[in-house]
Amino acid sequence: MMSRRQGLLLIAPLLLVLAGFFLVPVLMLLPTSFGVYEPGTGLIKGAWSLKNYSQIVSDDYYREVIWRTLGLGFSVTLICLLLSYPLAYLIARGPERWRVPLILLVIFPMLLNLVVRSFGWIALLANRGLINNLLMQLGVIGAPVKLLFNFVGLFIGLTHIYLPFMVLMLVAAIRNVPRDVESAAATLGSSRAHVFMAVTLPLSAPGILAGSILVFVLTISALVTPRMLGGPTYQVMATLIYDWPSGSALSFALTFMAVAIIWLSSRLTKRWAGMA
Amino acid sequence: MSDMSENRPGWGLTATAFTVVAFLQLPVIVVVLAAFSTTSYLTIPPQGLTLAWFGKVLSDPTYLSAIRMSLILACGSTLISLVLGVAAAYALFRKVLPGSEAVTSFLMAPLVMPAVVVGVALLQFYSMTGLRGSLIGLLLAHVVITVPYVVRSALASLSGLDLAVEEAARVLGASGFEAFRLVTLPLIAPGLVAGALFSFITSLDNVPVTIFLISASQTTLPVLIFSSVEMGIDPSVAAVSTLLILATGIVLLLAERRFGFHRFV
Repeated sequence: MMSRRQGLLLIAPLLLVLAGFFLVPVLMLLPTSFGVYEPGTGLIKGAWSLKNYSQIVSDDYYREVIWRTLGLGFSVTLICLLLSYPLAYLIARGPERWRVPLILLVIFPMLLNLVVRSFGWIALLANRGLINNLLMQLGVIGAPVKLLFNFVGLFIGLTHIYLPFMVLMLVAAIRNVPRDVESAAATLGSSRAHVFMAVTLPLSAPGILAGSILVFVLTISALVTPRMLGGPTYQVMATLIYDWPSGSALSFALTFMAVAIIWLSSRLTKRWAGMA
Repeated sequence: MSDMSENRPGWGLTATAFTVVAFLQLPVIVVVLAAFSTTSYLTIPPQGLTLAWFGKVLSDPTYLSAIRMSLILACGSTLISLVLGVAAAYALFRKVLPGSEAVTSFLMAPLVMPAVVVGVALLQFYSMTGLRGSLIGLLLAHVVITVPYVVRSALASLSGLDLAVEEAARVLGASGFEAFRLVTLPLIAPGLVAGALFSFITSLDNVPVTIFLISASQTTLPVLIFSSVEMGIDPSVAAVSTLLILATGIVLLLAERRFGFHRFV
């Protein structure tokens, strides 16, 4: 048998690396977030205040960016859910021979470099991009429609980036719904729509919640896609942190939002599990 | 009404699902088309075909050194993550330590933290300790963001394992390490390959942490693409992206052929 000392020796190296290069650096950010800045001189030693935090709530620009970030989180999550469910259902319940190819086509863009995918969306959405060119050639529009550096661009790009996560979570959830229950409902005279609404959908609810939380948290934390599709002018929380790293209060605000949502959802899931 | 027709997804659903799949491939196709196009912007149909952008990328020292740096970081951090992560997961699996649930959450914590926050925290820490611009600092930063994937897949593979097999090897005279190396390790290998692949891809993909920590000579490929896009769309970015798309596709197909990668996602 393995002794406690051997176990400790096995796990200690990783714990040390994570303590030294994750926990300590993040904790050291905490005093900075209470620091007082003087334009030109930087951080003033010994002084501290809550100003960095109160600013997040009181400043109009910060408030706008936070609402925008949350708005993107909600709308991207919702559209991902709506688009993913049919695909996940087809993968889970459709013809066997389609399953693996479809899953691979979902995984492939997920594995692809994020900057590459975002670059692809720039090529599509730019003023001289594919979509605008095509619409102008067809005569639908006279002048390019602005699809980048605004909500639309970020919404499309982020939906594309996080859709695969939702699909995979939903596939697992739908596969967990016992087929017998669906067949039983059908045998008892339920229409296909009713079987779906009364059996499949409620029984896959935990997966829907898990997928939604994942997509929401990933969306509000995203830096690369919002920056590439939004530029330096259309900011979200993560890009604001990127532009102003010393504003660590915003870092903690974003982290707090992510952790709170995950904590809340795990509480919810436990309650659901208790009810089942 | 037969059972078959009752279970088969309808036409509307199938069509929606295939549209979504097409949507997922759309930017990929566009990038590849742009890489072969003679114009710097895209038209339908493409104006002309050329391989010039690939030649430009493969002879550009900036791109080549960025590719090299990305590979060094991805290989190095995956290797370190594998060793540290599998050791830690094994200790957790044998349940010889108290509070293993809390420890597991701690090992997974870098996944919950927004990457840009990890980047900002490490920027401040490295500036204070003089680690900024050092290779070891970069490698360990990448270990922090990749090791959760290795730990997760190692724990998942180990949980399906029967401890009796390893005990039998011990009874037959194998040392603890021999039993692990000869019995347990081969059994969890497919799961570990999947975890290593995720770790490799995560490192190769990372911008939010890397961009804060590198010196000018340490630029990685994604950071290079990320920063060059602010100057406008350059077809050589499309060419280097196409090379990445090709590499990703090949790796995915090989991984699927070898050990059914889709089961591990």
